[in-house]
Amino acid sequence: MNLDAAQLNRRTLLKRGALGALAFEVGGRAVMLTAAEARAESLPLIVLSAEEAGLVDALGRAVVPGADEAGLVHYLDHQFAGDPGAALLMLRYMDVPPPYADFYRAGLNGVDATAKREFGRSLPALDEDEAHTLVGMITGGDPEGWEGPPAALFYFIFRADAVDVTYGTVEGFERLGVPYVPHIAPLEQW
Amino acid sequence: MDKFSSEKVDVVIVGAGASGSLIAARLAEAGKSVVLLDAGPGWVADDLISSQIWARRLRWGGAPVQSVGGHPYAFTFNAGWGLGGAALHHYGTWPRLHEEDFRVKSLYGKALDWPVSYEDLQPFYDRIQEEVGVAGDAKAEIWRPEGAPYPLPPVPSFGQGEIIAKGFEALGMTTAPAPMAVLTEPYKGRPACVYDGWCDAGCPINALWNPLISYLPRAREAGADIRPRSTVLRVLSEGTRATGVEYINAESGITVQHASLVILAASAVLNPALLLNSASDTHPDGLANSSGKVGRYFMAHAIASVYGLFEEETAVSLGLTGAQLTCRDGYKKDLREGMLGSYQWLIAPAMKPNDLLGIATARADLYGKPLEDFMRQAVNHMGNMIAMVEELPVEENRIELSEDRDANGMRIPRIVHAFSDDALKVWGYAKAEGLAVFEAAGADQPWNGPLGSAHMMGGTIMGDDRTASVTDSYGRTHDIPNLVIAGPGLFPTSGANNPTFTLHAVTLRATDHMIGHWSDYAG
Ligand SMILES: Cc1cc2nc3c(=O)[nH]c(=O)nc-3n(C[C@H](O)[C@H](O)[C@H](O)COP(=O)(O)OP(=O)(O)OC[C@H]3O[C@@H](n4cnc5c(N)ncnc54)[C@H](O)[C@@H]3O)c2cc1C
Ligand code: SF4
Repeated sequence: MNLDAAQLNRRTLLKRGALGALAFEVGGRAVMLTAAEARAESLPLIVLSAEEAGLVDALGRAVVPGADEAGLVHYLDHQFAGDPGAALLMLRYMDVPPPYADFYRAGLNGVDATAKREFGRSLPALDEDEAHTLVGMITGGDPEGWEGPPAALFYFIFRADAVDVTYGTVEGFERLGVPYVPHIAPLEQW
Repeated sequence: MDKFSSEKVDVVIVGAGASGSLIAARLAEAGKSVVLLDAGPGWVADDLISSQIWARRLRWGGAPVQSVGGHPYAFTFNAGWGLGGAALHHYGTWPRLHEEDFRVKSLYGKALDWPVSYEDLQPFYDRIQEEVGVAGDAKAEIWRPEGAPYPLPPVPSFGQGEIIAKGFEALGMTTAPAPMAVLTEPYKGRPACVYDGWCDAGCPINALWNPLISYLPRAREAGADIRPRSTVLRVLSEGTRATGVEYINAESGITVQHASLVILAASAVLNPALLLNSASDTHPDGLANSSGKVGRYFMAHAIASVYGLFEEETAVSLGLTGAQLTCRDGYKKDLREGMLGSYQWLIAPAMKPNDLLGIATARADLYGKPLEDFMRQAVNHMGNMIAMVEELPVEENRIELSEDRDANGMRIPRIVHAFSDDALKVWGYAKAEGLAVFEAAGADQPWNGPLGSAHMMGGTIMGDDRTASVTDSYGRTHDIPNLVIAGPGLFPTSGANNPTFTLHAVTLRATDHMIGHWSDYAG
């Protein structure tokens, strides 16, 4: 799909809005894209580095199948870049003070260090079974040698974001066969 | 008046949530000049986007609040900000407190008594339910105290509600439609609910009561000056009089609003924080704190969630986020050996796939393929209910100030909270009962969620004894006659019932008193 910002008229914006779109910058203009579209377009990231994005993708896939394609990386990056008072992250409910990216960075590093310790490779290089085993190691508490926020809290938060992007959108509901029936469909001009 | 005029007014109210909006409407209509300040955005109904993700921006987004103790309280989840406050996105479950909740100390020798009885509040409950539009079946609710019948027929029960009710029936227990501040038919120009289960994100069609529907428009109509994004930093005082508040707003910077009467309606956590942050030479321990009780007796409800998968279709994503049915067979506090406290069941709340109270979180241990398999089954076959358990007041559960400062230089509030043994035991009892109900209803291997907390009460309790409480029964502080506190922070006990109907009744009674005795307040 090749998205030209100029092609997006209000009708398509509304249609896209109904899919849970976020405002991204394309060629200096704000356009509404779903996180999945932003990923497909490889839109540049604002806060996350390429390496961090690789970790989010790999962990997202292992925790909630489909989270990577649903655009978890762009969703998180977009949230980190905005005003914390308007953030949509589940972390907001945990009374963890901003900047929120710090919490994720520390958690991702903790998971990657565990991957290296246990499997001798970085998280993105693990196969599906190894990644599944690795996630199991952080669900119950801090694995040995863990550094970062409490592992179980990081797992809970990261999983919740991945669930949001995968199952909590209009497309996600559709995938599960749940009627969305909104009063006002997700649309935001920020 | 100019947009940010600091000209002295009759009343300045801090917080445009449930209690602040009601007071603003009543006092403005009584001819008082009113300024209503809220830290958060100026929400309108169109902001209530049906999405569990977008709903999060309606929660507290102001200065940080710390939470510590044996059971740290989830502040942000339970707090609102902006016009409407938490009431903008509350679920509208509106039971009255029971008679015994007002006399716990007298009846059981433990906890506290209120300085008012249920009989004192009953006429105010009746007035409020008529105005707001509460749906229910007063006869079927066999535990309900005296009161006028509900103005609207009860909410329907379907899917998971019908299935779970059979479990209660099998165990010889009673269920009744949950009393809800939700319209089951058109009422006063507002439409009926369509049971799509989006209440947690706010109800933009106005079927579920919130302050944007009438109190805020009424206040505005009567001339109240409503200023969102205006965070009050401290209450100003001279001797035993409050003189106004100091607040910060991006456009006006730091501004002083003088007023004859200052009313704090900024939630059970942030009201005491403001009082403590308003310490001065004359009030070194914080305003209105000669008793040392400001911040003390903070209470939350302990939550036990029960889940199960049923063979039948449950339509779990539809209905109301609050509940379809209730059971209060276990309400009486001394029914259980070795523990004191009430609980109620809120049966068959709607669940969406995501979010803190969503389907995926109910099995937070699952990830990868097993999670996906679970989701596909659960969206059609899951049922759930929650026990809301009373927490008796304990002085050590408190709001205090940490040494850390926020961006405005104010000391950051800290909530210190642990559930008492009584609450934990009643929670355990209710959880076991819930699992038995689900088994009786045919659930396959029902399970329960971790201990949760909901609602905030206490922290600025009312009482007759000025050495043991912060305010009188109208919310007027014992120390400073023109400083009033509003909201569930005034409750000396929490009962096991959701607080907002009671806080409306208490607030309505207080506004009648203020209007009838104006010179005593503003003098
Ligand atoms: C998810 C959820 C579901 C709920 N469901 C129910 C239910 O079903 N039934 C029920 O009875 N109750 C329910 N409640 C509780 C109900 O919302 C509260 O009891 C009620 O809103 C409390 O009213 P209040 O006036 O004390 O405060 P709020 O309504 O929270 O309003 C306080 C306001 O003060 C403002 N404020 C805070 N500090 C400052 C400051 N320094 N300066 C300026 N403004 C400030 C805030 O921005 C906020 O808008 C629910 C709450 C939540 C969060
Ligand atoms: S279910 Fe009813 S009360 Fe809840 S948001 Fe929808 S229409 Fe409003």
